[in-house]
Amino acid sequence: MRPSLLRRVAFNLLAWAVVFVVAFPLVWMVITSVKPQFELFRIPPTFWPEQVTFEHYARLLWETPFLTYMRNSLILSTATTILVVAVATLGAHSLVRFRYPGRERLAGLVLFTYLLPSVVLILPLYLMMVWLGVANSLLSLVIAYTSFALPYALWLLRSFMQGIPDDLENAALVDGATRLGAFFDVILPQALPGIISTSLFTFILSWNEYLYALVLVNTDAARPLTTGVMNMLISAFNIEWSLLMAASVMMSIPLIIIFAFLQKYLTRGFGAGGVKG
Amino acid sequence: MTQPSIFRPGRRAVLGGAIAAGLAAPTIGRAQGNVTLRWWSPQTAPAQRAAYMFQIRTFEEANPSVRVAVEATSDEGYPAQMAAAFASGQVPSVVTHLPSFALATYWQNNLLEPFNDVIEMVGPQNYFEGANRIYEITPGQFAGTGIGGSAANMMWLRRDLMQAANITEVPRTWDQLRDTCRRLQRGGVFGAPLPYARNSMTSLIFICFVHGAGGSIFTPDLQVNVDNDAFRNALEFYRAMRELCPPGATGYSWGESLTAFVSGAAATGIYTGRVLANVAAQNPRIAQHVTCHMYPTISTNVPHWTFNDFPSVMIPRQAANMPVAKRFAAHLFRADGYIRQLHAAPGHVLPVLRTIYEMPEYQNNPIIEANRPAVQLMSQAAAAGHNLGWETTRHRPNVRAGQIIASHVLAEAVQRFCLNNEPMAQVVSTTAQRLEQLMRA
Amino acid sequence: MTARAVNPLDRRYALLGVMLIAPAVLIFCAVIVYPLVSALYLSLFRIFTPTLTGNFVGFANYAELMSSPEFWRSLLNTFIWTVFTLALQIIFGVAAALMLNQAMVFRSLARSLILFPYFVSTVVAVLVWRWLFNDLYGILNHTLMWMGVLSMPLDWLGSMPNAMVSVVLVGAWKYFPFVVIAVLARLQTIPEQLYEAATIDGAGAWGRFWDVTLPQLRDVLIVVILLRAIWDFKEFDLIYLLTGGGPIIATQTLPLMVYKEAFGLNEMGRASAVAVAMMLVMLVFMIVYFRALRAREEPR
Repeated sequence: MRPSLLRRVAFNLLAWAVVFVVAFPLVWMVITSVKPQFELFRIPPTFWPEQVTFEHYARLLWETPFLTYMRNSLILSTATTILVVAVATLGAHSLVRFRYPGRERLAGLVLFTYLLPSVVLILPLYLMMVWLGVANSLLSLVIAYTSFALPYALWLLRSFMQGIPDDLENAALVDGATRLGAFFDVILPQALPGIISTSLFTFILSWNEYLYALVLVNTDAARPLTTGVMNMLISAFNIEWSLLMAASVMMSIPLIIIFAFLQKYLTRGFGAGGVKG
Repeated sequence: MTQPSIFRPGRRAVLGGAIAAGLAAPTIGRAQGNVTLRWWSPQTAPAQRAAYMFQIRTFEEANPSVRVAVEATSDEGYPAQMAAAFASGQVPSVVTHLPSFALATYWQNNLLEPFNDVIEMVGPQNYFEGANRIYEITPGQFAGTGIGGSAANMMWLRRDLMQAANITEVPRTWDQLRDTCRRLQRGGVFGAPLPYARNSMTSLIFICFVHGAGGSIFTPDLQVNVDNDAFRNALEFYRAMRELCPPGATGYSWGESLTAFVSGAAATGIYTGRVLANVAAQNPRIAQHVTCHMYPTISTNVPHWTFNDFPSVMIPRQAANMPVAKRFAAHLFRADGYIRQLHAAPGHVLPVLRTIYEMPEYQNNPIIEANRPAVQLMSQAAAAGHNLGWETTRHRPNVRAGQIIASHVLAEAVQRFCLNNEPMAQVVSTTAQRLEQLMRA
Repeated sequence: MTARAVNPLDRRYALLGVMLIAPAVLIFCAVIVYPLVSALYLSLFRIFTPTLTGNFVGFANYAELMSSPEFWRSLLNTFIWTVFTLALQIIFGVAAALMLNQAMVFRSLARSLILFPYFVSTVVAVLVWRWLFNDLYGILNHTLMWMGVLSMPLDWLGSMPNAMVSVVLVGAWKYFPFVVIAVLARLQTIPEQLYEAATIDGAGAWGRFWDVTLPQLRDVLIVVILLRAIWDFKEFDLIYLLTGGGPIIATQTLPLMVYKEAFGLNEMGRASAVAVAMMLVMLVFMIVYFRALRAREEPR
């Protein structure tokens, strides 16, 4: 049943119209970031820039600690992702493939810890970091981000691993593998797409987190992009729009690049290796 | 006041800290024997940061064993950050550019170091007359000083638009202002960009109108003072102006209001001297037509009242290396660095030191030069300015001002009356009740 | 879930299972339990935020809350916001996933772009949306007026019901890509035969969706709905920056109230009480949700 050419064209147009509407703010951000300041607030608003300038990008890169912030964000998000996914993969495997008392209770409890808004958690968390002696460092952020990324990751991976057929592992065990051996040789490859998608979610969560970064870290040397850019460019009386748009475009680029590479894994992420019966 | 004990890091903290310290040394101030000062400010746009770097460099050159790190906070985020700092004892050495009512809250709870020494170092005679009175919350002691002044409710006009509408006189009273705005509102241009949102700008502007009506939110003794004509007149005025403001004014904060005037969409503006810099960058076409004046009051009998949020300098009591911190705070006022700082936001942050203002180096800035009368007017207005923390020279300091603004009581009163058309009596009584609650708390 | 044979192996490996979940549990205990417990503890006190000291007041904070119209209004707002934005996230998410599952030109690029709202930082996204919504220089009003749909610019954020509608729409825009990813992945593993069989039986496009696709998506959607509901309920940045809770408190949700109490009014005790109330509400939801799921679980 091949749809006619007309229907295909119509569908493509519709689909791309939807994509354009959804991505419009991105388009707006990019276009604004290359406009000179005096074109920003034209009334009526203009879409295309009359002059294209990269001065805002240049200013951001050379005159501000932007690159330091980006380095910090990259380190922070990568470390958090690795830690969270490692712990969550093991945990999810345990929740799905093992039986021990309190297993189901544990899964629910994990979510329970999730139910308080971060506003009331940050001050005690900060005090804990001070007590541990890691306040004002990237490590404190890794710890804090792990705390809210882990429940998410655990549940996602658990849902994914439930889709992997038992027979695969059972077959390996029958062949004489240990549980952990079976895990690494059989389960992990099957789980890889799910792990990658969970990694992406975790990375995005850490990359965009603001409130924890605001309170836990004050020094530029350890400050990530979110608070670095916001504190620098946004104040009560004034917003540096051009610089902010340039910064936002640059903040989104790593994510878009990562996603472009991981795309095919991602879409297989929740589908599980085998077909569900 | 009992202290929940789980929040005081105990002696075990030392051991735990020693172990963990190896894992995560913060990368500042670990050099042997050096003193490190931390300077917090919510105003760290690139232009200002460059000025701060200069001030730091000159201080470090004069004090070789000292390093200073500037750390950005934000106008939205500083309550959380300061709370974390105070609660944990990890306080910065110097905090600048927070509004004076934040200072008052912290002072009242014994969290700040008295600033008398620093003021002595700067030279009390160098200040504009009365510039430090707002900081004398406890008689004889200063909680901080101002790093600058902002005259936040200046009225900005467009000479070209006025000419085109045949308006020759600058409005002095509210009636004149309404008339002017009405006549200027045409061809897609609105009369004024007043805020009607549930935010601090609305509350603060409304306080200006209450004073413009000859009243005040509190009596000099800090009793609630809203059940009177001045308060009612201010609300009526605010409502009457609604039709002269853009429809989206219900969501306006400082940024939108500023942009409305700068972009030419509003014929008048209500803002600090930031207008000058933004017009120069974003709409240079109108730069030569922009002037500022004191905001009208209800009648010529009522004097002008300027809102100055008094961006301040303060030193937390728990700060380490107190003498060095104080020296650094005083250093911020040294001419070469201070002028650089002021030039990073020309007209917006005005000097608190009369001596600086008079210096040719300060006056020698394109925007300040091009707008000398405006800058002079603003400087004088700011020096004589007030805010909810200190409403008139007769008022006692109100240390709950910050909380009152944050609760949005006044902004909600404006919204109830102007947008929802609730009856005046109800709005007044609700507001009075809530203000009393906040003061009692 | 596929049936698990009760395998004697299982019991023997219980210890290993516990060890594998141990790191996760440890992290929780270490990092979450202390703040959690302190939030509960603080809610019984009157606490001044900058010093974190105060008096014991027992349940007075809770009593105040129960009698506060602001609390109940905020609770209602939170429900409205959560229910509507979640519904839209799911509907848009599934629809977009279905669309992106078809053949189309530059499909990979389309998929990347659709995910953009989820990538971008909330603060930036909201600032851009405020700009687009602006009545004077925002392109939305300008385009709608140019198309003749509007004659005057619309006040998107400052009046009701516009403010709640705008907030719900921006929330849906921001988070629906999460649903897209989950659903899209699942769609790719639905066997073609099922669709073919349905077509042979005479099912149209809608019939195929309802009878084949949706049941297959059920498991994924269950988890996605749960996770997104929790996140949406707790959402702070988006609403705070978009409307600040206004006009008056028409869009103030509980997280905004917590923030206002904690850092605006410096009342950490009351803020903790609101937070605990939030937690209880979400707990009730979770329990009801799981019960409903168990009740409808088909025997496998």
